[in-house]
Amino acid sequence: MTGDVNMAKTSTAGTPNSLDVSGTELWSVSPRERDEVFGRLRREAPVSWQRPPDGGLLPATQGYWAIVRHADIRHVSRHPELFCSGQGISFDDVPAELAEMSAAFIVMDAPQHTRMRGLVNHAFTPRRVRTIQQQIEAQAAAIVADAVRLDAIEVVRDISMRLPLWTISEMLGVPPERRDDLYDAANIMVGTADEEFVAEGEDPLVVLFGGVTALHQLAHELQAARKAEPGDDLMSALVAAEVDGDALTENEIAAFLVLLAVAGNDTTRNTISHSIKAFSDNPEQWDLLRSDPDAYLGTAVEEMIRWDSPVRTFRRTATQDTELNGTLIREGERVVLFYASANRDDEVFTDPWSFDITRRPNEHVGFGGGGPHFCLGALIARTQLRAIFSEFIKHVERFDAGEIDYVTGNLINNIRRLPCRLQVRQAV
Amino acid sequence: MVVVGADIDLDRCQGHGLCGMECPEVFDVDDGGRAHVLVDPIPPELSGAAVLAQQSCPEQAITLHEAREGEA
Repeated sequence: MTGDVNMAKTSTAGTPNSLDVSGTELWSVSPRERDEVFGRLRREAPVSWQRPPDGGLLPATQGYWAIVRHADIRHVSRHPELFCSGQGISFDDVPAELAEMSAAFIVMDAPQHTRMRGLVNHAFTPRRVRTIQQQIEAQAAAIVADAVRLDAIEVVRDISMRLPLWTISEMLGVPPERRDDLYDAANIMVGTADEEFVAEGEDPLVVLFGGVTALHQLAHELQAARKAEPGDDLMSALVAAEVDGDALTENEIAAFLVLLAVAGNDTTRNTISHSIKAFSDNPEQWDLLRSDPDAYLGTAVEEMIRWDSPVRTFRRTATQDTELNGTLIREGERVVLFYASANRDDEVFTDPWSFDITRRPNEHVGFGGGGPHFCLGALIARTQLRAIFSEFIKHVERFDAGEIDYVTGNLINNIRRLPCRLQVRQAV
Repeated sequence: MVVVGADIDLDRCQGHGLCGMECPEVFDVDDGGRAHVLVDPIPPELSGAAVLAQQSCPEQAITLHEAREGEA
């Protein structure tokens, strides 16, 4: 990364690369097909200028630099002083009101980010996560017990959807009678990219706004309830959180709930679904995992996250002229991080298209490339994946999954449906 | 290399707890959301795990100290 920035040798902003990653069709094909384009970019043009992305809720106006190599994604993630989040993190442009209502610390920079994240960090420490681990394990056991009674399951509906939002509800202390409202609103937040989810004639933006508004209302209700009667849950901790005399405002907590409903929802959901498909396609890996879960489950979970790469893209904006892998990036220009591409970078991962549960080290960027925005919920996600696959290990000999039905979208690697038969271990 | 000690830069630490997952005998995160080192010196059999813990830190907040020449 050293050297005179005037010597930058590759393409400059304004000339889109012939390997285009801004079209929506790229996001409707399988990850493997998509990586043919990204593999060429990694080799031929690791920092390439791209035209504004198609699709999205608003017409995109700005081009961007596509960042596709592992080392470059780490560099951008670990230099927030050069590549900031405060000017937006989504590939697509977001309407201002919506951005305002979901303006949690994921779209902030230091010092506001440091303050906000410091206030919520307490709820996500390993010690706190251990206190909910048993509840997550019990819920995972119930979900798998239901599934193994069925001949054929639809993985997303019968398994993957059932754990993440339940976990968030438990953590927040959402009362049982309000959980369906949380689920509905949260699923709106992550569903508007799906043409089947938004009814004919409906404006996705209006639907999305309805979801955000419902989450804000729930957040305000919960805050009032916990201020009146604190409990041992995340919401109580949030309303009481104070660092150096500083507390979170009601709207900041509401925006955090919106973030949780998105970040903690279809990320884990899709990793569960993709992992079931991966074990169905690679039965020898399932046999290996079952042969010694204590030895393999830890590395298997990391491989599941690498394999899925649930978050497809986040964006940063350059705060000054800087050089990245030989390319000059000017102040104000956008860079988009393509995480799945980094997770298939053969400079880091041997045989990257092999699903290998023994892979170690496994420095995937499934939770981000490091730095201040590294996934706050990483430990919870790992706990959920461990819990659900521990139950499968006990009961399932083989996954026999059909074809994945993908949702087109550039934020999350989203599966709409996945049919599967479970070969269940017979009681002896 | 043989690692005998570790320091955590608390200005960098964000409490992710990945160090504690790699090497729970040496690293833990307290309720205040900051990592700390549980043992000093680090026993030789945990040296390798301590290196993995350092590498796992997204904030690069862990500094390891190697044994000097002649030390175990």
